Amino acid sequence: MEATNTSECTIKGRGVGSGVVIGDAFVVETETKVVHPVSIEPAEVKHHKSRFFKAKKKLSSELTLMAQELDDPNSSEIIDTQKQIIEDVEIEKNVLQIIEQELLCVEHAIFHTYDGFIEKLKESASELFRQRIVDLENIRDQFVNQVTVQTHKKSIAKGSVILAQQISPTDLVSFYEAGAVGLVMEKGGVTSHAAIIAKSLGMPCMVSVDQATKGVEKKDKVILDADAGIMILRPSKATLKEYKKRARALLEKNGSRKETIFKTSDGYSYLLQANIEFEAELAGIEESGAKGVGLLRTESLLFGSTMRKSVEDQEQFYSQILSGVEGPVTIRLFDIGGDKTGGRTIRESNPFLGWRGIRLLLDKKQLLRDQLRAILVTASKYPRRIQILVPMVSMIEEVRAIKQEIEAVQETLHKEGIKIEERVPIGLMVEVPSVALMAHQFAEEADFLSIGTNDLTQYTLAVDRGNERISSLFQHYHPAVLRLIKMTAEGAKKAGIEVSVCGELAGDEIGAAFILGVGINTLSMTPPSIQKINQVLTSRNKSEFQAFAQLAVAKSTAEEIEQLFEEWKLDA
Amino acid sequence: MIKKKITILNSSGLHARPSASLVKLASKFKSEFYIHSYGYRVNGKSILGVMTLAAESGAELELEIDGPDEKKAMSAIVELAENKFGMEDE
Repeated sequence: MEATNTSECTIKGRGVGSGVVIGDAFVVETETKVVHPVSIEPAEVKHHKSRFFKAKKKLSSELTLMAQELDDPNSSEIIDTQKQIIEDVEIEKNVLQIIEQELLCVEHAIFHTYDGFIEKLKESASELFRQRIVDLENIRDQFVNQVTVQTHKKSIAKGSVILAQQISPTDLVSFYEAGAVGLVMEKGGVTSHAAIIAKSLGMPCMVSVDQATKGVEKKDKVILDADAGIMILRPSKATLKEYKKRARALLEKNGSRKETIFKTSDGYSYLLQANIEFEAELAGIEESGAKGVGLLRTESLLFGSTMRKSVEDQEQFYSQILSGVEGPVTIRLFDIGGDKTGGRTIRESNPFLGWRGIRLLLDKKQLLRDQLRAILVTASKYPRRIQILVPMVSMIEEVRAIKQEIEAVQETLHKEGIKIEERVPIGLMVEVPSVALMAHQFAEEADFLSIGTNDLTQYTLAVDRGNERISSLFQHYHPAVLRLIKMTAEGAKKAGIEVSVCGELAGDEIGAAFILGVGINTLSMTPPSIQKINQVLTSRNKSEFQAFAQLAVAKSTAEEIEQLFEEWKLDA
Repeated sequence: MIKKKITILNSSGLHARPSASLVKLASKFKSEFYIHSYGYRVNGKSILGVMTLAAESGAELELEIDGPDEKKAMSAIVELAENKFGMEDE
């Protein structure tokens, strides 16, 4: 960025979702640097101490979870040691002393205390001891980051636009709850986890914005135009005026929404549902017109800012969702592994082909049974509203095993005298090509199928969806992917069960037209996409969608399919 | 208060993992536990304290335990040290 600190400057990136926001820049520092001693007032001591204790608790509960997830005694021993280093009595004594007696900030207290020990180890003659220094530095930085993130959440002003290298979905939700209105990230793709959540929260977002956090002063004005994929830093008065006008116009347009009707122009009904992960997203569902939740992700219970892994905590979460929306709610079991390991320790050379989803759950019986118990108890309180969705299925044996587990938990509940819902529908995620290819056989074993197009695309095309270098190869409407979707629809129909699509493709105009055209009439997407998709689906009659789908699967490239859609649109 | 001298038998010294075992065990007792080594005195219930002793194989440590369960604590800790802090092949 060449701009000085006073002139307007436009930076390009990739917009996610839509909308325009104007706000004050709020830079989230994620790189740890030397932490300088900052003096605090005696009245602030209590607050700084409590931040230390909170951060300590958070880090150590994350480690406990991680240790539980790794069966390997070697790794859990290492994690145990890390936990001891975080909970160390001398660290605590030292940190509190710096805060209370020297009246310095908690960040510095932690940094300085760990550094004291690191310096001592550096003096040690033995190589083995010196090797541990990296680990200690790592723990020190994590600790400092943890307290810093908490400060940010506290100090963010309403109406701020977050500028970060990259942030976690749970941090994003905290910022959103504190009043942030937009998100700009230097890293991450359009399908990165934080971007998907931002879209769902209706928060305009931009990703792959080079150097977005550089040269930005606190409280610099920022305009984020997700539609155009640009961010304007320190806009001139003229630019600001123009954008304020646009933002107002958008607001009026959105405010004039009528009751949403889900029918094609010839009266064929379909259902548009919401994909959500956090309670904070409930408000957006009603506004969007969605009928129920087609995909409730649950991983954040394990990796959120407060871990909510116990049966009671989970029940509370599910009940809150069920009471916050109308209609059915499809709860997906923990889809951990792959890129969602909580960020650390489980090292596999091919995590996306590794221990994730159902594969991991069947090995982690306690984790699985606790979740099933919480879901099934909630299901009895909200009769005929809950469905269970099983992630990352690739083999029939897995389906049979999970059904047995569910039956066993039901039986236990029954024996304990707890009222149970007799038939909770069990569905399978279609993410692996093997399931689409054998859709009929899988459908015979399940109550419904749900196609996750992001992973299905990734596994069909052998393209890592997180790898920016090959992001042009990650083609949602590749004919091979569309063919697998069609096969899945046919297999489900033959077995007489429902099928839905809950991936990004459902929230895409071309994708939605195709999906309806192959006879799938339940589409689940991030709530802000619903109105846009409904416009497309109400505009034509059923046979026109069928004709489009038929032509689309016969094409050879994604580009040809995009062209076909343009022509089809004009042909109305 | 009781005191006793021990020698580190582990070939790699008292590094992170044996330190972790020592601290874990010591923390189970109510008594205060300090380790003296070559002029240093560290809290035996602090893993960082123990690690920064950088006690290598053959190093002599003096254990100082003070409290209601000091005898039990001492014998348990001495036994752990004799068993090379639960580390194999060292």
